Amino acid sequence: MELLRVSRDVYGREVLEGVSWDLLPVFFWAGVAFVCAHALYRWLLAPKRR
Amino acid sequence: MNTTTNARSGDAADIDTDTRGAPGARIVRHALVDRLFHWLTAATVLVLLATAFLPVLGVQFGWVTPHWIAGLVLIALIVFHVVRAPFALGMRSMWIGAADLRDLASIVRFNLRLSDEPPRKPGKYSLAQKLIHHLFAVVLLTAAVTGGLMMVRMDTPWWKRNPYWLSDATWGVVYVLHGLAALLLVTMIIAHVYFALRPEKLMFTRSMILGWITRDEYARSHDPERWKVER
Repeated sequence: MELLRVSRDVYGREVLEGVSWDLLPVFFWAGVAFVCAHALYRWLLAPKRR
Repeated sequence: MNTTTNARSGDAADIDTDTRGAPGARIVRHALVDRLFHWLTAATVLVLLATAFLPVLGVQFGWVTPHWIAGLVLIALIVFHVVRAPFALGMRSMWIGAADLRDLASIVRFNLRLSDEPPRKPGKYSLAQKLIHHLFAVVLLTAAVTGGLMMVRMDTPWWKRNPYWLSDATWGVVYVLHGLAALLLVTMIIAHVYFALRPEKLMFTRSMILGWITRDEYARSHDPERWKVER
């Protein structure tokens, strides 16, 4: 998986184009994973407040 | 019982009927202008993310014009908030200070079961709410500033494009920061919506829609010494 998008200019030099859109599912699923982890923690492990 | 109390962090506030102090009495948590700011910002960010990522996902349409128009709206909203918030809302309610760091320590101890003592109740905003606000502030400012710079490279009704305003390497950094901010927003919005929908947080979501919490909710979720409302 690429982290960055690069292209080449007319002189053949690498030009940075931005972050790789391959990362979009990574950030999406990171959010989903955080939600699942927090929900499970609160459901199963978190101490109950008085 | 629709009594409404206006409250600001650190300030005593008005209450205008003889039902003051009743559990169902309402305390204003978010003024109408702040709620409009929140929901307009939310709608604008969703338009920006949709116009940015739907083409990436294969939904092709003319996304550039709605994207930069929404970007200008977002910049206007941010400027409005930055100018207004210090005077109308006060910085203190959103400031992270020594008391918040002590709260963090007690939250960690309580959640790791090192202490049975529940963490102290917060003022108007909990440490987590302050942190997510500041994180959104940093990410949205990054997206807005880099997006504003990127508009130099396109024709608008106000100027002609100038792709040579910055070097290619600098433009690359601008693009990376803009894209990274957009990707972070995806994760942050998922987490933000999740917390907004958690049962114990629904009162905050309602207050962002209707503006108020009940005095009972205030007593249950806030330390009256840290968020003073008139009794």
